[in-house]
Amino acid sequence: MWSFIARSLEITTIFLLASIGELLDQRGGVLNVGIEGLMLLGAASGFLTALWSGSILLGFVVGTIVGGIFGLLHGFFSITLKVDQVVSGMGIWIFAMGFTTYWADSYSGPLPKGLSPPGIGGYLSPIFFLAVALVLIVWFLLSKTHLGLKIRSVGENPSAAEATGINVARTRYLCVVVGGLSGGLAGAFLSLDYFGIWGHLLTGGMGWIALALVLFSLWRPFILFAGALIFGFVWQFSISPEAIAPGLGIPLGIIRMFPFIVTIIVLVVISTPKFRRKWGLAKPAALGEPYIKE
Amino acid sequence: MRLPRLKLEKVVALKGWGAAKVSIYSIITAFIIFSAFLLWEGANPIEAYRHIFSFAFDPRLGLVSTLHRSMFLLFATLAFILPLKAGLWNIGMEGQFYLGTVGAFAVAYAWGDLPSGALIPLMLIAAALFGAGYGVIAGFLRGKLGVNEIVVTLMLNLTAFWLIQFLIVGGPWAGIGECRSRPLPDSAVAPEIGGLPFTVFLAIAISVIFFILFTRSKVGYQIRSFGSNPSAARHVGMSPFKISVLVMAVAGAIAGLSAYHMWAGDPRFYMIPQPEAYKSIGDLTYWGIMVGLLCLLNPLAAIPVSIFVGALKVGGPVLIRRMKLPFGLDLLFLGILFLSFVAFQFFYRYRIKRVKEKR
Amino acid sequence: MRIGELPNLIQKMRSTLSGKPERRKGRVRESLVSGLKRGETVLEARGITKRFPGVVANDHIDFDIKAGEIHAVLGENGAGKTTLMNILFGILRPDEGGIYVRGRKVEFKSPLDAIDLGIGMVHQHRKLILAHTALENIVLGHPETGKIPDMRRAEEEVGKLCRKYGFKIDLNARVWQLSAGEQQLVEILKALYRGAKLLILDEPTSVLTPLETERFLKSLRAMARGELAIVPFITHKLPEVLGVSDRVTILRKGKVMKRLETRKATMKALARHMVGREVLFRLKKPKVKIGKEVLRVENLSALSDKGILALKGVSFSIREGEIFGIAGISGNGQHELAEALAGLRKAEGGKILFRGKDITRASVLQRLKMGIGYIPSERVEVGTIREFSLVDNIAMNLYFDKEYFKWGFLDRGKIREHAKKAILEFDVMAPNIDTKAAHLSGGNLQKLILARVVPRTSRLLIANLPTHGLDVGATEFVRNRLMACKKEGIGILLISEDLDEVLQMSDRIAPIYEGKFVGIVPAKKARKESIGAMMAGAPLEKTRKREGSR
Repeated sequence: MWSFIARSLEITTIFLLASIGELLDQRGGVLNVGIEGLMLLGAASGFLTALWSGSILLGFVVGTIVGGIFGLLHGFFSITLKVDQVVSGMGIWIFAMGFTTYWADSYSGPLPKGLSPPGIGGYLSPIFFLAVALVLIVWFLLSKTHLGLKIRSVGENPSAAEATGINVARTRYLCVVVGGLSGGLAGAFLSLDYFGIWGHLLTGGMGWIALALVLFSLWRPFILFAGALIFGFVWQFSISPEAIAPGLGIPLGIIRMFPFIVTIIVLVVISTPKFRRKWGLAKPAALGEPYIKE
Repeated sequence: MRLPRLKLEKVVALKGWGAAKVSIYSIITAFIIFSAFLLWEGANPIEAYRHIFSFAFDPRLGLVSTLHRSMFLLFATLAFILPLKAGLWNIGMEGQFYLGTVGAFAVAYAWGDLPSGALIPLMLIAAALFGAGYGVIAGFLRGKLGVNEIVVTLMLNLTAFWLIQFLIVGGPWAGIGECRSRPLPDSAVAPEIGGLPFTVFLAIAISVIFFILFTRSKVGYQIRSFGSNPSAARHVGMSPFKISVLVMAVAGAIAGLSAYHMWAGDPRFYMIPQPEAYKSIGDLTYWGIMVGLLCLLNPLAAIPVSIFVGALKVGGPVLIRRMKLPFGLDLLFLGILFLSFVAFQFFYRYRIKRVKEKR
Repeated sequence: MRIGELPNLIQKMRSTLSGKPERRKGRVRESLVSGLKRGETVLEARGITKRFPGVVANDHIDFDIKAGEIHAVLGENGAGKTTLMNILFGILRPDEGGIYVRGRKVEFKSPLDAIDLGIGMVHQHRKLILAHTALENIVLGHPETGKIPDMRRAEEEVGKLCRKYGFKIDLNARVWQLSAGEQQLVEILKALYRGAKLLILDEPTSVLTPLETERFLKSLRAMARGELAIVPFITHKLPEVLGVSDRVTILRKGKVMKRLETRKATMKALARHMVGREVLFRLKKPKVKIGKEVLRVENLSALSDKGILALKGVSFSIREGEIFGIAGISGNGQHELAEALAGLRKAEGGKILFRGKDITRASVLQRLKMGIGYIPSERVEVGTIREFSLVDNIAMNLYFDKEYFKWGFLDRGKIREHAKKAILEFDVMAPNIDTKAAHLSGGNLQKLILARVVPRTSRLLIANLPTHGLDVGATEFVRNRLMACKKEGIGILLISEDLDEVLQMSDRIAPIYEGKFVGIVPAKKARKESIGAMMAGAPLEKTRKREGSR
């Protein structure tokens, strides 16, 4: 039971890391649909680094940095080149699909023995607490600091923000790079800690669920945290249902579908008129629109 | 020396030749970068391309395969183009393809003793219906509640993958090999026209129909209006709901049809293979996004581009074997091409002009 | 695109990243603007000249403003006001001439330099973050706001400013909840909090109700008493602003026509200087027989986009050949009324009867087919499709007609015929009918919309802000066309923010305030002052009383 909870929290960690960065991104007005891609790249580069260097820590570091680089690239496309943010995000995702398949699939398989991540009580990784801390930091940043106020302004009305002297581009770049870093870390955690294995398109859709989580959360870090907990549970349940409900007898394929169906259901619920209004008010007004200086 | 002052000039949705140039430049750039990769791997790029295309287009070797894969791609591309013309991003071709598989195979298993003349049309209809139904889910949610169709179609993709897995891995359709499905009955196999499965011509026909539809039909006009300016379309009475559902249904149907084409049109299959294999076919549908964007959503242009990509796909493994390169080369090219295209999108909207100095 | 442009692209990238420094650690240069004495010249502009391709926007303009003074700048659209304003605030650089702050020549590289020197600007289109509170907006970007802003102290300091000048405003309310007048106060506070001693106001009273205008002018006077210098740039509502200003400068065609002390000026003289001729804009109102009822609305209510009740039960009717004018400041429910009538917005309550039939639940398409036409208020976002050609735009009102779209296919020939005729009739200027709508000017776009809608309208036309933002020529054209529709026996609902327009064109006028009609007044009996008062909520009887007592 404890192992189920621990694994569940590890998934929560992954969701949290991937989505808190995107939350910051979106508060600043930049939409990055390529979270799945960032995670894939982080996972692959982290895995390969650990494999070749023998150091898991280095794997984490490299995975995170690679994520940051691609976050920066997305920023370059969206902010400077002012390309459609959806297209840019998808580009990163499809590039990641191709690049990681080519690069890492030939190394599919587990990490060599002896390379094991640190864990508390042998199970729970300290990175979980890092993720929680990150949630708190982002919450504090956005609601209490001047920088957070600037980020929010840039996401709501970039021209008004610019008029008060804020450098919109710089602020957005900051958000997008942080989003990239945390997405990369999420991916590295997935391949190095949760799985310890590489396989074709390892992330299996988690990045997309993370994106959906940001939408559900009404862009509030604490709601995001709750969502990540719930989905962490749902995901882990879909992998090992017998830990919670032995003898349920639902075939493997069907139960693996659960997280995706749940995601759709939640998306539908928050789109009903009652929630829609609240959602519309919470949405950063300039989300997804490139800022063009007059 | 003063640097010339530059001005960003917004271009109105660059069309025609100017826009095509963007696509061409991105392809060229992608080739350059890809060649760099090949060099780094120790392969001669020119040699490599020669290997690929000579194999792919040789009638004795790869031509049939090339055309088969190309048309699969064309189906996926058409399924992507139609909704995007209306402003909807259908990323769900993979899932709609899987559902089409379910439909076609269900009919084949249930009524396998029917003659081909009856069975095949039934399979096609079932494949289209199942695919359409799957597409409609996203279209309905988008039209009625405004739910983001990208996330929904993706979730549906992942769901459908597991559905197939459930059916063939130790499930009701499991065949002799542990993770494969039972083979299709003989009467289900696609008859050939000129050495090619008839579905090849079906795909091209649909492509032409689409072209006529977009430019000359009432529905096409509504779709275009909706895609350019949904608010304006609403203001003249066009129904966002009806259009969303319609385009997603038709797109799903087309992606569903591609399932019959893939499994019943290629002698190496005639069944659903194990998960790694059917997933890699499913991954092909993402090329539909790239081809669709490169062709600027023009269904006729999609035909030659699909053939080109099909050649890459079929010739790629040959290259991999002959030059001992890692697997997944074609997906890599897709990734590079996509990023290159994204970068060149900049010129799709803006022109960099030199500010004329005053006399 | 040429590959040679690539190095410049990299240059651009570099400048994006390093460009405008986040906020130079500067504050208002206290030395320059502190200790201003009343009557001392704060800013002087000498010989300001700015040229754009084909036009001299500012032609050797001299201007000065003293502390404690309100110096208004008057001018029509195109007189050069905006250019001058932007130069004074650092958005533009003058080609010739200089700006002197307290005698010292200064150059503005960007508005931040101007802000540093104590110049603040309040824009016509609010530059506020609607989702944030007033206080958050005021504090945003201020160099002295620490990493973690002390909101309580900020509230105190801003509160002091409010009390000093008599501003009444809830600092903790979200800006989207505030009225237009209150939002303006927030912008003023923002500038004052940054240490502004000179305030440039861009059309400050254009969106205010008469009551708000009064309060605003009182605040202006209070600010001037506090040694601030204020420069309002205005086109309309001359009497009010002139009532508080000390001097007025009139611009025409980029030059200073006249500068006067206000007490020496008369309204008529000012108008003449502004326009250069006697302005007599009298429409030829045709004598039209008013026919039977075409529209009857009973107790109609509708929600705004935010989900609050914006239209609270209006009832009226329109007859053939009649123009029913709705006068009101935007945001009082007229937009929701227009959309409810067009079918774009659900009616929360009430009934709409079109020629006797209940169409409350009818769809937009059904209403279009019945001959109801809608001219939307936003011509670029919603009224036209910019990527489409003129022909395709006009087809927007044809697609449901079997005549033009037979068997599901376009009848190209017929559509082009119709389009050619309509474009000619409505004077849409474009190289040819295949030109994309995006290349059209505002006036031509509006004409395009008319060309699309009017020929397909047979009974009822809903015109939502049809002359908004148009130049004089286009405005005249649109108004004349509406009159032509009237002659054809089409009932017209006219929604306009221009009170003069409503008064001149309508047969009956309904001022709308907070979602309700304050009254329905026949044009003959309508007086501008009373309608204006009703637009601000004063009930019908009160105004009659006031008129009676005169």
